[in-house]
Order: sequence, then C-alpha cells, then structure tokens
Amino acid sequence: MDVFELVKKAICKVEPGLDESKIVPAALLKEDLDLDSLDRVELALSLEDELGLYLQDEEMGDIITVGDVVALIESKLKVEKRS
Amino acid sequence: MVTPLGTGVDKNWSALCEGKSGIGPITRFDASSLRCRIAGEVKDFHARDFVEEKFAKRFDPFIQYAMAASEMAMEDAGLKPGQYDRSRIGVVIGTACGANVYFENAHRLVLQGDLRKVPPFFLLNDSGNMVSAVVAIRFGARGPNHCPMEACAAGANAIGLGLRLIQQGEADMVIAGGSDAGITPTCIASLDNLGALTTKRNNEPEKASRPFDADRDGFVTSEGSGIVVLENLETALRREARIYGEVVGYASNCDAYHYTSPTPDGEGQAECMSLALKDAEIRPEEVDYINAHGTSTLINDIAETKAIKKVFGDHTKKLAISSNKSMTGHMWGASGAAEVIFSLLTIRDGIIPPTINYETPDPECDLDYVPNKARKVMVDTVISNSFGFGGVNATLVLRKFEGA
Repeated sequence: MDVFELVKKAICKVEPGLDESKIVPAALLKEDLDLDSLDRVELALSLEDELGLYLQDEEMGDIITVGDVVALIESKLKVEKRS
Repeated sequence: MVTPLGTGVDKNWSALCEGKSGIGPITRFDASSLRCRIAGEVKDFHARDFVEEKFAKRFDPFIQYAMAASEMAMEDAGLKPGQYDRSRIGVVIGTACGANVYFENAHRLVLQGDLRKVPPFFLLNDSGNMVSAVVAIRFGARGPNHCPMEACAAGANAIGLGLRLIQQGEADMVIAGGSDAGITPTCIASLDNLGALTTKRNNEPEKASRPFDADRDGFVTSEGSGIVVLENLETALRREARIYGEVVGYASNCDAYHYTSPTPDGEGQAECMSLALKDAEIRPEEVDYINAHGTSTLINDIAETKAIKKVFGDHTKKLAISSNKSMTGHMWGASGAAEVIFSLLTIRDGIIPPTINYETPDPECDLDYVPNKARKVMVDTVISNSFGFGGVNATLVLRKFEGA
C-alpha cells in the first residue's frame, strides 16, 4: 500500500481545489497547504474511514508535515500487523 | 438573493413581473408517498460561484444560500472589505429551521451506527447562528451578530432588528435577511401530515400556490435566501451609496393564540401593522401597496384580509395588495427578506408584481390582489407582512427615498 498516495488523496478530499503538486512529504500542513485545526480533524476522520484505524487526538497533535502524517499511518499499520 | 426563480435580483425581478412560477415536482427525495409532492427548489445555484469548495462541502445549503445572497448584496451596495469600519457593521440573518439537510444526513449515519463518521461540523451547522457567523467572518463584520429563529417571520424580523441596531447607534451598517433550505423528507412530511401544504395540484405545480383564490388549499414549501444591506443614512450619503428606499417603520408581536393558526379575526396581525405604522409615524392613508404574507392557506389569507380591513378602514379599497409567494412559494424565513427586496424594487420601478393563479374570488378575500398581471403604478409607501408559526408577526414599512 502506498501510504503517501493515500494521504495525498485524503488531503485533496479535505481541501478540494488544492494544487496537488504542493502535496510533498516536506509540505507543512498549515503554512503550505492551508489546513487549519478543523481540517486536520477532517483529515484524521477521512484516513480512519479509509484504513479502519483509530487516530488519537494526541497522535495528530504532533503532526506538522505531510511526511509526519505518512509516518504516523505507517507506524499504526505496522502495530496493527504485529497484533 | 437566491430563490426558486433564480440566483440574483435581476432574474428574480423579471420573473416576478412576468408572473412566472418557480414551483415544480420535488426532486430532492422520493416524495411519492406524500400528499404534497411539489416544492420550489432552487435550481440554478452553484455554491462554487460564491464560496470555496471546502466551504460548500462543510455547510448546509441554507448557509450557502445566505453566503451567496450576502456576497451579492454587499457587491450591489459597493462595499468591499477594507472600505468600511469593521466594528460598525453587524449581521442579523434569521432562519425558520436552520440546517435540516445537514441534520438529516448526519442523523442517517447515527442510525447506521457510524458514529465516528458524523461530520465534526455537524454541531456548527445545527446551531442556526452559524449562518450569521460565517457571513461575519467573510466580511470581517465585528459588530452585533444575531440569528433570530422565528419561523416564517425570521427574515422580516432580522431586518427589523437590524433597523433597531442602527437606530440605537450600535452599528452603521447591518447585513440582514433570512435563509432556509427545508425541502427535506422530515420537513416536508411533517408539514404534509400537519395539513398545511397544498395537495390538489401535484400535476400542475405552477398553479398550486394561489393566495386569496377561492380554490387555494395550502402553501407550497420553497427555499432560498434574501439579504439586504441596511445602512445609516449619514454613512450612506457620505459614500454616495445607491439607496433603494428607506425602512421607516417596523413592529413585531405575537398572537399568543395557537401554534399554527392565526387569530381568526386577524387581531394580532392587525395590531402588528398598526404598531409598524405608528413606528413609521405615518397614517394608514399614506400606504399605497401591501406586499402580503399571502401564503395560500385557507386561514392565513382570510385572517390577513380581515386584519388589513381593520387597520386601513375606508382606505382598504384603494390599496393594492399582492403575494410574491404565488410565484416563489413559501421560502419560510427567507420570504420576508426577499419580499422586502421585491417591495423596494416596486418602489424603484413603479411595478407591482401580480398575485398569480387568481381565478375565483373568495367572498372572504374581497380586496384588490393585483390578479395575474403586473401593474404599472407609482408607489411611494409599502408595508410588507410576515407571519409565522407560533403566532409571530412582523411588519416593515418601506418608503421611497426622496433625498435628505
């Protein structure tokens, strides 16, 4: 599974009309992609829905870049696989 | 403004003067099991013409309509952010029912057990005041902010409250009006079961809304938004604003009688009209035209007729009276505000839009309802009535602006 592509898709869903080429791992969610706190909630819910995961608020709290989101999802998927 | 007749004032005004109906079959949901299967759906509205796609996705149509109508009103008023004192501009937008589309969609998820899918924006939408808040955010309007939830008088009362804010010196400008989007299964079924809606003309929907006609049998639900920019005369003159007319009087009261029926003799409504004339400091004889509430229900149209006679006495037979709802249908909280816009255009152009579908006179509604054809006549003073469930009444008095 290409987690980056999944995250990209979810961001586009939250922020329709966004220039997709801006969504790169180093992009800052707030400054570069204009995602405010409510957008982040929507992003989390959208990813949960897509992946069947549960993302806790404090986990999302440390997220600054697109790469952070990808890393968080990957680690969650790994944990799930192990259990 | 946004109505079943179109998006934008010009489209609405020409349709209204031509006597066109905006009513058609319900397409938003399967209404086949209901007695009333028609409504005035807004058809040519594209939220993205007015707001970001993200906004359109997050907010109920009633908020989208109000945002679009506010954009159009502010543009027409020539007010761009940065050109007004943000602390002196307020927002008062009323609604009868708020975010019903959003509510019903979210509730469906709850019934399916998908609680985690309930949109985080649900409660924001469901608090009716978000409509006034998002408009304030859009225009940086940091003055007073209110959302009267006052049934079908909400839009008229919003304009009245806006007038008071300016008169009391709390604001120089107020973005005011109403918005509703209630063509949903729950709302329509409820009104259908209540017996408030027309049931006889599902096959000829454009003929169903027929205020004051003897063969009327209930109202037609529709949706939309009407927004005006109210402004203190001094600031309006200073910036050489286009002035459509003056809001010279306002009153509101409550029948305190019944949930849905007006007082049969129109007592509460008559008192409301009298209070508004008193507030405007004008005599009944000075009124040329009444933009009636005229819903096309059996009881409203009789009560309103009786109330008009009570207030205007001998002058009643000189009054022109018409109901825009014969064409727009009943947009609930948006109606009163849209009808204020239409009343101001009547004053501007000297055209009274007709009451369409008026075929058979009702002995109990025996006034001049401007039947079927628009009338060209100079109009200086108009009163616009709005009456809502709960017995809430609002009357606004509008007058041609003759210069300071």
